[in-house]
Amino acid sequence: MPDWVGPVAEYVLEVGLKETLKLAVVSVLASTVIGIALGTLLTIRWLPVRAPIRLYIEVWRGLPIVVTILFIYFSLPTFEIRFSAYTAAAIGLSLWGSAQVAEATRGAVQSIPREQHEAAAALGFGWVGRHVFVILPQALRRLLPPLVGLLVNVIQNTTVAFVIGVAETLQASQRQVERLTLETGDPHAFEIFAAVMVLFFLISFPLTRLARYLERRLV
Amino acid sequence: MDVLAFEWAFIWENREALLEGLENTLKVAAIGVAGAFVVGLVLGAARAHRVPVVSQLAAVYVEVIRNTPILVQIFMLFYGLPRLGIRLEGFTVAWLSIMIWGGAFNTENFRAGFEAVPARFREAGYALGFGRLSTFLNVTLPIGGRIALPSSINTYISVFKNTSLMVAIGFGELTNVANNIQATTFRVFEMFLVLGIVYLTLVWTLSALIRMLEQRLALPEDAR
Repeated sequence: MPDWVGPVAEYVLEVGLKETLKLAVVSVLASTVIGIALGTLLTIRWLPVRAPIRLYIEVWRGLPIVVTILFIYFSLPTFEIRFSAYTAAAIGLSLWGSAQVAEATRGAVQSIPREQHEAAAALGFGWVGRHVFVILPQALRRLLPPLVGLLVNVIQNTTVAFVIGVAETLQASQRQVERLTLETGDPHAFEIFAAVMVLFFLISFPLTRLARYLERRLV
Repeated sequence: MDVLAFEWAFIWENREALLEGLENTLKVAAIGVAGAFVVGLVLGAARAHRVPVVSQLAAVYVEVIRNTPILVQIFMLFYGLPRLGIRLEGFTVAWLSIMIWGGAFNTENFRAGFEAVPARFREAGYALGFGRLSTFLNVTLPIGGRIALPSSINTYISVFKNTSLMVAIGFGELTNVANNIQATTFRVFEMFLVLGIVYLTLVWTLSALIRMLEQRLALPEDAR
């Protein structure tokens, strides 16, 4: 191994990968909670509830994630709301992710036969209890494969936080490339970015396989 | 910092730069979508018909592209390839990266579409005296292509949205232009309004097209 590899690997893994995973976990959790709530509400056939949720989904799914993240990072300080780049990226990813989850949840909830709603209602459950205790646990089965798929997409999309300077894996690698260029004149960009691709592949590939397996088993 | 009052005039004053950005975005997207269509069609057919060697290589290509972030792929092309003596300018990296990315997703779309064509249709083609290629062109392609169309348009929407990632390598497409203007003038809302309108209009139009096509192109067999 050449000398330059050690410090680069250490920084990319300890700073970059850690930040990537932190960002991914927070965004996936927020996306799941918000998305399931919105998706369930979306099955209510009352326009004043449905229309704003529909708009939320279509806007955040329709915009490129870079645009959302840049917008959040640069627009909120105008209202004296100060955000770190990390928080802005997490919010941007969660807006996009929750829109994906909401759409999947709507489909999953609507796939549960209406008899289940009726049986739950007959047992005395209200709307909330009916969904929380009867419908959603069954819908979760259908929701699991898309949630694993979302995890993969969010992990990959954390790299977009690069544009606002979050020290995730890509940003960390780029900083090392710049450091090597200044110190040794050789950026080693090819080797470093190839390694980053391998790193992401090792994380994503098992997860995409898991998603496909779950899809075959559960749906 | 005081909140700047929203000014429509500011957008108008910068129309030339913004339109040039939009032009770059559309140019790159058009090349990327056309390329992704060809790549997906050819490799999807090779996958579905299990053409030796090509099929396996295509499978590796698809898995590598789908399991690595596109932004890292862009960096590889832009900063990594000069190592091998290949220097690409921003414009080339822009269309090439989204084409490679979209091609991988489209390979899967077309493979699924072609594999959904029942074997008896192909057998009927052979029985009528068509060779393998003409059976593909006259039977599998028109039917399987129709099945693959909605999902492939979804891929084209993502390909279009991915042009905005070129902001990271400084290529002057719309997001980059608008972002640079807001960074120097603090006209955040004017610029992001432009971005929102442009991207959402195009994405929503294409999504509406998918829904329309799904009804129009539904195979007669499914309709019955």
